Amino acid sequence: MAKSTPLLPESDAREAALFFVVAALCFLAVLATLTARGTYTAARAWSAQVEGQMTVQLHDTDRRGAEQAAAVVRGLEGVRSADVLSREEIERLLKPSFGAGGIPEGVPLPLLMAVETSRANPATAVDVNAALSGAGYNATAEAHSDYAAEARHALATLRTAAIGMIVLLTATAISVIAFATHAALLARKDIVDVLHLAGAEDRFIAHLFERRFWTLGLKAGAAGALTALAVTALIIFSAQSSGSRSQLLPQLSLDFWDLVILAVSPVAAGLAARWAAGGTVSHALKGVL
Amino acid sequence: MNRFKRDTFDDPAVELSGVTLRYDTADEILSDIDIRLKPGTFTFLTGASGAGKSSLLKLLYLALAPTQGEVFLFGQRTSALTRKQLSALRRRIGVVFQDFRLLEHLTAFENAALPLRVAGQKEANYRDEVLDLLRWVGLGERVHALPETMSGGEQQRLAIARALINKPDLLIADEPTGNVDPEMGRRLFRLFVELNRRLGTTIIIATHDLALIREFESPVLRLQHGLIVRDVEYGSA
Repeated sequence: MAKSTPLLPESDAREAALFFVVAALCFLAVLATLTARGTYTAARAWSAQVEGQMTVQLHDTDRRGAEQAAAVVRGLEGVRSADVLSREEIERLLKPSFGAGGIPEGVPLPLLMAVETSRANPATAVDVNAALSGAGYNATAEAHSDYAAEARHALATLRTAAIGMIVLLTATAISVIAFATHAALLARKDIVDVLHLAGAEDRFIAHLFERRFWTLGLKAGAAGALTALAVTALIIFSAQSSGSRSQLLPQLSLDFWDLVILAVSPVAAGLAARWAAGGTVSHALKGVL
Repeated sequence: MNRFKRDTFDDPAVELSGVTLRYDTADEILSDIDIRLKPGTFTFLTGASGAGKSSLLKLLYLALAPTQGEVFLFGQRTSALTRKQLSALRRRIGVVFQDFRLLEHLTAFENAALPLRVAGQKEANYRDEVLDLLRWVGLGERVHALPETMSGGEQQRLAIARALINKPDLLIADEPTGNVDPEMGRRLFRLFVELNRRLGTTIIIATHDLALIREFESPVLRLQHGLIVRDVEYGSA
């Protein structure tokens, strides 16, 4: 038995335009989500890493004095390691400011000590300052977590902005689909009238449009998500192949949850399209007898 | 099979009580119409263009609600029905539209089967019935044709097949012979009469064709400027 022709005619140019709009919105939403998630994950990893770190600047002493000060710090409870930085290590830290040519001869470099605290009951900058002061050293300890707090604040803002953007894009997609459904309803008014007068219930007619727009949303969402995947892969590839500069960028990668987002977004687009179409048709039909 | 589903045997199939129809703020299209048609009657509705025939039919096939008054179908006050109940009532009415209103992307078979498909029936259950009906209206060879490839007469017969496939309790036809030659018009009317006699279907036909009205000897309702001016016996409209 041949398959019945759909009661709504096959898609036309209007639906092709709608396909493009939904695909573009889905692309932007997925890209925003992946970028926000990637940045957030990378920044959180960095934040977790610096949480347990401290830098101590030693004044009025030489390298031998610095090594002795490091031994004092190592003896503190809640300290995992304390090491005086070599000139090479300091140069590497300052490389972004001085460039590949290194630090010019004659520029005085401070004596710095890198301290790593234990995860459980970590020593604070106050503890380290007090211990060094008590041992007769003139030193200033600064915990990196002070900077991490600023990063956490920036991350929270970024997350809120990303959620806002996704909500806005989703609302835009739903509005566009509702508008397109209304246009389709007007364009197919002759068919809807005939079905209505033949005794079709509102649910039956709404279901025809829901099915049509579910398929459209699913396909357009898949196209948008795949394009977003390709663009994200390109960004990751570019970041990773940019050599030394890549260390300034967050460590971008696609993990399991990113793939879940990619897989779910077409379904979400389809469901949003179906919901918008069904609601629009049901509302419009209530206006006729 | 007679599927006539009367609510009670005393109920008229169609009853309009004090019906007035006005579109927005325009003048009245229909004024204070009272009609009672018994089940199984065959009635002509006539009148000049603009007299309100199509509007009256729209009230009967539930495309419009009256501005005032009540429309009863099979004893049910239509204004008191839910949307679901109205849909169910529409499935008891077959309509032949003046402009056919066939769905251009569906084949003749699919157009004829539309009311059954809308009612949720499976094609396997109605296939033979639809093919029989298409043969009965002379479209047995045009089952797979699209409406745009069919002549005016063929489209008209297809519209009639669609209206009949549900074995409706009430058949409403708006100028069903408007696009066919006189011989085809008579054939179509004979088909309506046969339906009326065999199935007891209540039939209302709006037409200008006085020759056919005389030939088929049925009661005539005559509309003039929105009023029923004559509720007359056949042959004198």
